[in-house]
Amino acid sequence: MTTGAITTDTFEVFGTTAVLLVTRSSAIGQARGIADRLLAAVDLACSRFRPDSELSRLNAAGGKPALVSTTFASLLAAALRAARLTGGDVDPTCGRALTGLGYDRDFAELRASGDAPARLMGPVGPVPGWTRVRLDRAGRRVRLERGAQLDLGATAKAWAADKCADQIADQVGCGVLVSLGGDVAVAGQPPPDGWEIRVTDDHAAPEWAPGQTITISSGGLATSSTTVRTWTLGGRKVHHIIDPSTGEPARSCWRTVSVAAGTCVDANTASTAAIVRGAAALDWLHDIGLPARLVRHDGTVETTAGWPYNDPGDAA
Amino acid sequence: MTQHDIRTAARSRDAVLSRDSGMAKVTALSWRAGAAGVVAAGLLTFALGHHAAASDVPAGHQGSIQIPAQPPGQAAGSGQVTSGAS
Repeated sequence: MTTGAITTDTFEVFGTTAVLLVTRSSAIGQARGIADRLLAAVDLACSRFRPDSELSRLNAAGGKPALVSTTFASLLAAALRAARLTGGDVDPTCGRALTGLGYDRDFAELRASGDAPARLMGPVGPVPGWTRVRLDRAGRRVRLERGAQLDLGATAKAWAADKCADQIADQVGCGVLVSLGGDVAVAGQPPPDGWEIRVTDDHAAPEWAPGQTITISSGGLATSSTTVRTWTLGGRKVHHIIDPSTGEPARSCWRTVSVAAGTCVDANTASTAAIVRGAAALDWLHDIGLPARLVRHDGTVETTAGWPYNDPGDAA
Repeated sequence: MTQHDIRTAARSRDAVLSRDSGMAKVTALSWRAGAAGVVAAGLLTFALGHHAAASDVPAGHQGSIQIPAQPPGQAAGSGQVTSGAS
């Protein structure tokens, strides 16, 4: 689809919707080819629901070291960096916690199954922690200690959006926006007024859904929410953002947090950490200068560090 | 004591002195080798630990979350894409 000078391609990937925008219509085919190749490599590296993925094999390795691909090593390095920068609030060793919550299959399948099966072993407790992951990036070797099980969901999609945008801009030479399920990365020369992005709870929400429209010209934008990827477990509503200190879904005062950052993976790191940190996230985001929009459960909105004025009529 | 006995006693003393001297040298060498091993192990541990820590993060931007080059701007309408959870 072409709107003005912007051409759009929409497709399904990672069980969600991808949107690709380029500023030169003739570039869309080449851009899609680049995206398809990279996204296929990311899926094969770190899908938790493919038995042939590197992540599945590593989780099943029983603590033995494994040789991994460059793509997997980079994805894991990004996840460990996110953990370090958030003091462990965004932790990749929450695989067992998610499985314990019944999230052990593709999300569409989980939701379609209705109530997830109750835990067999009781509460999982705190996650093992990111320091239990040994990555020798140069040697591309990984070892998981003390039963750690990986889930890279908090950073992998955003990492992929960043890489897609950078590679398309480099190889095709135009402005590009990549959205993977609402994780947005842009690169190259943007449109004159920037990329226009609607920020709301759900990336698949209709355009009249409450929210706010903003523009960005570089970097990335990500939104984390406790309201979208939800299911029931023994009659209890749960979501996928794990508090590493409990191994349970985070009990946050925020239902949705959107953050703009220098990269999409940094934006997603901060938005996920903000959900986990709750009220303390406001000061944290302000102190590090990250523009953010935080929505409470009653729909009231807080913003930080240069996020544009939020019209109360737009309250989520 | 005959001359033979005196020579035999002297040889015995020399032998004991030689043995003790040799033992002292071997003990000193053992201590030096052990100390060198401890130092080498410490250096190796530091080097490998540093390498492992350094390899846990991607090159560039390791130190902090990057703020955007420009803050987001205000816009109207429904936007070209939607950022929300998935």
